[in-house]
Amino acid sequence: MSNKKRYSIEQKQAKWGLLFTVPCVLFFAVFCFYPIISAFVTSLTDAKILSKTREFVGLKNYIYLFTKENGGFSLYNSIRATFVFTLGTFIPMVIVSLIISVLLMQLRKPSHRGFFQIAFYMPAVLSSVVAAAIWMILFDPRGLFNQFSNFIMFTSGKDFGWLVNTKMLQASTMIVYFWKYIGYFVILFITGLASIPSSLYEAAIVDGSTKWHTFWRITLPLLKPTVLLVSVMAMLQCLKTFSTQYMFHQGGAGRQPIDVITMNIYFTGIRNGRIARASAMSIILFVIMLLLTLLQFKVSNSDDVEY
Amino acid sequence: MNKFIGKISVTEVIVWTFLSLVLLFTILPIAFMVCASFMDAKQILAMPFTWIPSKEYFTTTDRTFATNFIKAILGNNEDSIFFRTLLNSLIVAISVSITTIFLASLCGYGLAKFKFKGKNVIFMSIMATMMIPFEAIMIPLYMVTSSLNMINSYRGLIVPFLVSAFGVFQMRQYLLTFPSEFIDASRVDGMGEFKIYANIVLPNCTPVMATLGILSFRNQWDNLLWPLLVSQRETMKTIPLYITKFSEEKQTDQGAMMAIALLASIPMFILFGFLSKYFLGGATVFDSRKG
Amino acid sequence: MKKILLTMLVILMIVPSFVFAQGEKEDENVTIEFWTHEDANRQKLEDRYISEFIETHPNVSVNVTRQSSTKMIELVQTAFAAGEGPTIFNLSINDEYPFMAAEVVAPVDFKAAGYTSKDSLVDSYVAGMLDPVVIDGEIYGLPLELTNWCIYVNKNVFRDAGLNPDTDYPKTWEEMFEVSKKLVVREGEILTRRGYDFRYPYYLESMVPMVEQLGGSLFSEDGTEAIVGEEGWIGWLTYMQKWGPNGENLGSPTYKNARKLFNSNNNDISMATTGLYQQARINHDNPDFYNSDDWMVVPYPKFENAVKDVAACYYGHYYMVNDSENDATKKAAWQLIGYMLSHGEEYLTNVNIIQPTKALMNSDTYHNMPFSEVFTTDFERGHVVYFGANSTEIQNLIRNAVEGVMLQNVEPAQAYRQLKNSVQELIDEE
Repeated sequence: MSNKKRYSIEQKQAKWGLLFTVPCVLFFAVFCFYPIISAFVTSLTDAKILSKTREFVGLKNYIYLFTKENGGFSLYNSIRATFVFTLGTFIPMVIVSLIISVLLMQLRKPSHRGFFQIAFYMPAVLSSVVAAAIWMILFDPRGLFNQFSNFIMFTSGKDFGWLVNTKMLQASTMIVYFWKYIGYFVILFITGLASIPSSLYEAAIVDGSTKWHTFWRITLPLLKPTVLLVSVMAMLQCLKTFSTQYMFHQGGAGRQPIDVITMNIYFTGIRNGRIARASAMSIILFVIMLLLTLLQFKVSNSDDVEY
Repeated sequence: MNKFIGKISVTEVIVWTFLSLVLLFTILPIAFMVCASFMDAKQILAMPFTWIPSKEYFTTTDRTFATNFIKAILGNNEDSIFFRTLLNSLIVAISVSITTIFLASLCGYGLAKFKFKGKNVIFMSIMATMMIPFEAIMIPLYMVTSSLNMINSYRGLIVPFLVSAFGVFQMRQYLLTFPSEFIDASRVDGMGEFKIYANIVLPNCTPVMATLGILSFRNQWDNLLWPLLVSQRETMKTIPLYITKFSEEKQTDQGAMMAIALLASIPMFILFGFLSKYFLGGATVFDSRKG
Repeated sequence: MKKILLTMLVILMIVPSFVFAQGEKEDENVTIEFWTHEDANRQKLEDRYISEFIETHPNVSVNVTRQSSTKMIELVQTAFAAGEGPTIFNLSINDEYPFMAAEVVAPVDFKAAGYTSKDSLVDSYVAGMLDPVVIDGEIYGLPLELTNWCIYVNKNVFRDAGLNPDTDYPKTWEEMFEVSKKLVVREGEILTRRGYDFRYPYYLESMVPMVEQLGGSLFSEDGTEAIVGEEGWIGWLTYMQKWGPNGENLGSPTYKNARKLFNSNNNDISMATTGLYQQARINHDNPDFYNSDDWMVVPYPKFENAVKDVAACYYGHYYMVNDSENDATKKAAWQLIGYMLSHGEEYLTNVNIIQPTKALMNSDTYHNMPFSEVFTTDFERGHVVYFGANSTEIQNLIRNAVEGVMLQNVEPAQAYRQLKNSVQELIDEE
């Protein structure tokens, strides 16, 4: 008799659990899963944006992307651009935001800390279109940033070519992104740091540990889950970057140096109308992101992160 | 161990210097935007840059300090569609925040506090959607939206973003730490499951919900690509579209560009000013499982 | 009795439906989605014509959507892809070609557009002007404007540099180079005033003719080989390299477009490549400058050792109609187009765009437009811009090549080889 009761309670609970989850699942099914599957199917055809019919061509698009130039904007170049951007942005972001948050924790008054947190976060409040608009003017050869560069480098009248020179252009996009999101990641680290009980620090001081030693042996290891989560988030965000590069290109900058995969997908699909090829690129990007995320988790191998 | 100069330690000096430099880096471009929005384009690109807007650089006689803003609001066609655009952005952003809060909490609750078959599969798949870049699904999504007849409408701008995987994640994490005893007690008391959700769980989630709402608002405010595809009619455009359109037409009028940028950012600044706690709390929620 | 009543009832029901059905066909409510690119002056005319048209056609409603010209192609394409294409739209011919190739646009309905026959339609236009929109004898669009570009010159800047604009303006590309060197003002490396700068990113229209002057061309005669005439291409790429930041630093694609600066007469640009329509914009933006004698238009320069004389290519915007609309809508669309286009002279005087009808080209209005002879002669020196299934991609590839030599230190020979390979790959796919 009691067995039956327990069984039906569990069943009932399971039913409710499912019920609560179903609306979201439906939503994701229609607006996420279906489109990505549709994109995958499209990538196996020869669809063009205006074509009324499409033929199944198997892996032809993928082979094309890995062997041909794609009208001068090859997949390899896009992968290179995306990786350079990602590594050049998220690694400094993680390191610098960690340093900043540690420094912030050194401040004696929490109100000071709050002030800095708010100030650092401000760029993240702006829309990326606004950020790009501001920085395009700053990076103009006559603009403030070039003047500043001249000032720091003790030169005058030199055009550093922030929007022109291949390397500088890539650096500019990284600077904008870094500027925009540094505050956000500082907050993430502050929270992680704040969650380390102060008793641990006190014990360390009692044991005669130096600040440096404490940082390396206590803070960092305990911070590992946060660092991992922050890194993954930052990395994924950087891999998906689009508006900064797009706005810079619309403003006249060259495309090749900053032709990140997302931008290549957009131009190949929407401007050139080759949606099958663009879909293939999308799937490739998706797989890259999946693999890198798994890799990051594996490398740090924290049990903390398992659910 | 610590060196002191008067009452201030050397470490403190280093800390403050470094932090102040970072402060300058983050704040100056915003200050630039504010100052430049009053300036004539000639002054913005003058070398060296002068921070205070001055009449010296005005190139036409009928200019005032407010000219840029007037241009920004009147728009290219002098039809003041700016206000309608602002309204559209507000409607879309607010709606998405509300739907996200409720749907994410619903789903997060189900995933956190219930056991059912396939729960982990569902959770992992939802997390995997975070890896789908928007550009990848842009075109199929457009086809879906148009077959549902939602192009050029608020529905089309809102529905594809009803809830975010990130939101589900945050709610689930938070609710994992919610004491189950309350829920069980209410069940014993005979409360219906939905009532429990609405009356017991939800009211205790306000910090997460506020943060989630704000982040969703911000992301929708910022959305460029989707409205670009869906809002073809002038009356349905959103702020990012307005800015890019303006920049294409009036490329050389950097002053007006900055005025628009400033106007477009004011709602976000206001929100941030009042609710900064929740913006910053975005991270707190993240690690709340530590207690 | 009942039977009679019944039959009468049936007749009463059927007859009106015939009458009304007839009426329905003519008065069927039609909505036209009209997409076009922004132009303040043209907009005024369009809005007026549309409201006039609606008065005489009360069953028609028209929704106008205006976008920036660079965005139009993307938006129209995506709309068509989702089956939501506009009823009427206009794009540059090389962007419109894919629509014709994909058979999504409708052939011209001559009667609706106001012509008695196909021949009278063809006849009313200058020879060859309709050719770009003809496939298998069917005409798929009507020209809104046919444009070519010449060089506008701001005389003030010449005088400021101690030159005499009326004699010293550049007639060759070599002179253009030398004159710009004298006109340029820099702060360190940064250009604050340019002499001339090119019309980036419209390489097919404004710069391929330079290649052709030097003996190169986009394709071989039979169309199988791409980017022919090595000397021509490398010659042109070398010129661009010398022009850019890594050469004499006279200009670059990253500075603001010359034509957008030209109207303000702000001593930051002296010459720009643009069309007749620019005059209406100068008048709108800066009437004092427009009415002064301080600007003029000169022909497209020619290399000193050019083997052919080619001016900038002309391109056209054609109105096209979505083929997936129902017949009533398509008919109304062509009627509207025909109505709008019947005002050729107003388009010319108010917007400065040329509709290449014989009537207009021979009219006094045209001859009285400032510098119209320059444009006419250059029309004759030039040819239509390249259009085809891949024109957008080819344009991008050429852009790539130019930016490579100008901004990225790529050697012209290498850029040429890369360009040749990429375009060859493109056409081999067909």
